[in-house]
Amino acid sequence: MPVVLQNIFRFILLVLFQVLVLSNIQFLGYINPYIYILFILALPVHTPRWFSLILAFGIGLTIDMFSNTMGMHAFATVMVAFLRNGAIKLFTAIEEGNNPTPSFHTFGVSAYVKYVVLMVLVHHTTLFILEAFSLAHFWLMFAKILLSTFVTILIILGIESLNKK
Amino acid sequence: MKNLINFLIQYSVVFLFLFLEVISFTMIVKNQEYQRSVFMSSSNSMVSGMYEWSNSVVEFFKLRAANDNLSEENTALKNQIIKLQNKLQTLTPEVDDSIHFRIPPEMEYEFISAKVINSSTNKIQNYITLNKGSIDGIKVDMGVISDEGVVGIVKTVNDKFSVVVPVLNNKIEINCKFKRNNYSGPLKWEGEDYRYANLNDIARHVELSLGDTLITSGFTSTFPEGIPVGYVEDFKIKESDAYYNIKVKLAVNFRTLSHVKVINYLNYKEQKELEKSSEEQQ
Repeated sequence: MPVVLQNIFRFILLVLFQVLVLSNIQFLGYINPYIYILFILALPVHTPRWFSLILAFGIGLTIDMFSNTMGMHAFATVMVAFLRNGAIKLFTAIEEGNNPTPSFHTFGVSAYVKYVVLMVLVHHTTLFILEAFSLAHFWLMFAKILLSTFVTILIILGIESLNKK
Repeated sequence: MKNLINFLIQYSVVFLFLFLEVISFTMIVKNQEYQRSVFMSSSNSMVSGMYEWSNSVVEFFKLRAANDNLSEENTALKNQIIKLQNKLQTLTPEVDDSIHFRIPPEMEYEFISAKVINSSTNKIQNYITLNKGSIDGIKVDMGVISDEGVVGIVKTVNDKFSVVVPVLNNKIEINCKFKRNNYSGPLKWEGEDYRYANLNDIARHVELSLGDTLITSGFTSTFPEGIPVGYVEDFKIKESDAYYNIKVKLAVNFRTLSHVKVINYLNYKEQKELEKSSEEQQ
């Protein structure tokens, strides 16, 4: 049960942090990091896939409600949840019996960094393309994707490295 | 049959994935309608309640700047009162009846003051949430201004809150004109910098200079004439073009926006009805 509680807690904290703090910080006008995605990244490895898809839809829609962007975050987050298992299989070798929570400790530093980078990149790319909904401002979008991805990854890795265990 | 069932079970996750993505995508495409269904947007009372709470914390830090602005406006208004009083005295009665003194109908409007409780400037479609709603008399399509100039247009309203589409949203254009020579055109934001917008509909023969003031044209019933929109920052024209490409510095700083006024144009209904009925007659 503590794992469930832990995840509920993480959900609430990340949504609050995202909506009340990060969405108000606008470095340089290009960068808006979306940290809430950490919730999906940190679900236990063998969470049933259908369940993680539904959770992703839920957290995406919650963020959407706060930022007036119906569907965009939901779409991008569901995408991440779908690709998550593939990425975990690609970068790590978890034994059948175990069900660890992804972190530096359980994945190893390099595998975890790869996993976070790939997932955040997928999420931000989907999100910003949906936001622009055209390729009219391609370079602007490109800059936004790269810078925001970079900052999100930094913050997520920062949070995780504080998680000593 | 068994194979089919096996197949469905095996790929159930994929189906769920596609199903959720289709739902999300439909929402994005139908964004307009969803905006209107107030429940799902940020005028939803739980969401806006939380924003209001967080705003009360942030606002504390903005008090000083807001105070400065208010006192400046106050003195400007006082000066205006004095000027008007003087003028009035020189005009007072030669003839003692009230018929000669009448406010022109297009000038009859009043302000509803409101506070910004949520806003963004870094997206391509930004929105602003206000802490006043239909109880306070706000209706869809009303104009919103601040002390500095034009902010945007009200898009959705519920009892207590309303959502504004600001100039910083590529879905709206504000019709404005040059104060100096009355040439008008639509101002559009391109999604790059919250300080600047573009005006692309001014013909080549118009004379421009840097720093020219742009004001609302008064052709729509949303804004009265003469509210500042921005200032010409830079303009370019190619040999082959018929129109200028003008970069406009917006009058309002959307990052520090906190108090706004919603314009209630009192003769809105009369004007609309008349215009509509004359169209129908043709």
